[in-house]
Amino acid sequence: MKRLIFSTVYCWAAISFTCPVTQAQNAELLVIGNIETVPSEMKKNQLTSVLKGEQQRWKNGTKVVLALMDPDTPIGRNTCTRVYNMSGDELQRYFLLLVFQGKARAPNFFDSTIDLEAFVAKTPGAIGVLDQATDSSVKIVLIDGNELL
Amino acid sequence: MTLLILFIGFNPAHGQKTLIKGFAEVVTTVQDGKLSFGIGEQDLFITSEISNRLSFLGETVFKFSPSSPTKFNVSIERIILKYNYKGNHNLLVGKHHTPINYWNDTYHHGRVFFPTINRPLLFQKHIIPIHTTGLSLQGLNLGKLKFGYDIMIGNGLGSSDVLDNDKYKSITAAVHIKPKDGLRIGASYYHDVISEGAEIHGQIVTTRINQSLITGSVAYFGKKFELLAESTLAINSNDSTGSPLTVASYAYAGLKLKKKWVPYIRVDNLNYQSGEFLFEADNTTSFVGGLRYEINFLAVVKLEYQYEHREIAGNDNRVTAQFAIGF
Repeated sequence: MKRLIFSTVYCWAAISFTCPVTQAQNAELLVIGNIETVPSEMKKNQLTSVLKGEQQRWKNGTKVVLALMDPDTPIGRNTCTRVYNMSGDELQRYFLLLVFQGKARAPNFFDSTIDLEAFVAKTPGAIGVLDQATDSSVKIVLIDGNELL
Repeated sequence: MTLLILFIGFNPAHGQKTLIKGFAEVVTTVQDGKLSFGIGEQDLFITSEISNRLSFLGETVFKFSPSSPTKFNVSIERIILKYNYKGNHNLLVGKHHTPINYWNDTYHHGRVFFPTINRPLLFQKHIIPIHTTGLSLQGLNLGKLKFGYDIMIGNGLGSSDVLDNDKYKSITAAVHIKPKDGLRIGASYYHDVISEGAEIHGQIVTTRINQSLITGSVAYFGKKFELLAESTLAINSNDSTGSPLTVASYAYAGLKLKKKWVPYIRVDNLNYQSGEFLFEADNTTSFVGGLRYEINFLAVVKLEYQYEHREIAGNDNRVTAQFAIGF
């Protein structure tokens, strides 16, 4: 009986502690942008090009600024895999090499979704990837007409 | 008036973002039965956003120099002011890596990024002019094929970083496309006039030389395979000895095993036509076989065997291990 109770508690603890991480890693992603300067809609291939640092400016002339969750966070890992098709290490190497060549700016990485949203809200040209948008001072950018990636 | 124009272009509300990084390496070599430990270059790399459109890039290298009183030299490898005037089009001023081929445009002095331990032979034998101080127009990722261009005018060979040694300018025109993820195909043309009396890599040029370099390159770095092949046709001509041709090429291939392990090979070939008078004309073929282990994006270990066959200077074997880091 004691063994049964212990096993049940152990399984519950294991599920409780791993599930939120796993859920965050598999969660849907969406793109947020600075309300005044980032387009409200984009095509997927355009988004990919922007997020890979290939576009220096938006059509309105504002500088493109990237905001991503740190690759060590669940949302960051999810972004690396689903948006970039890279591991966190590959993503960091990719951008470090571009910066070293003088051809792109490094993304701004954040540990907190609140900080990322606040940064996108206040920074002209900023675009970010998250699992949800809680700050009304940013807009959700539709990708191929969809809110979710 | 000039100062007024300079300040008009600035946005005083823009916050400055400065990044400082470094790169270094340590090396172990076994050659002619002798084991040696050595340090490589220490590379200090700085970028900063000066204004909304103006940015700075600087790369300074500290390296061993037997002729220096302290046995070390400080070398300014790159100083670039970049003005992003429209979209993906930039104006660059300063000391650049000459955008003549993929390797020189991509890897600079950060050994942690190099797919092999050392640069290909066409750099070591001074076929390619690694640096140019001048001005260039650059375009990146234009259109569906992600077309890119570099048009550069600069102080040519024989000049210093502060003064051209003659009235002639070097011209570089390079283009490339990226039709698929990871793939880049490029070509370039370089021309310079090297004046009589100019000092090039320790030797004094005794006659005026017209130098043209035509380069083609293919680079593919994918999830599983890596391929890089470049070839340069060099034509050095003067009034008396004609125009001997030099063909300098290399091909690199790597295979990613389990993400972090990459066995690779590289073959270099330098072929000088009879009568070559500027380069050290010793036909050379080199084979490199190696293994690269990428600990993470800032730390890489490489182990290589190299066999070099030179028609005049003879053959050479060496085994080298390198630990390269970024910080």
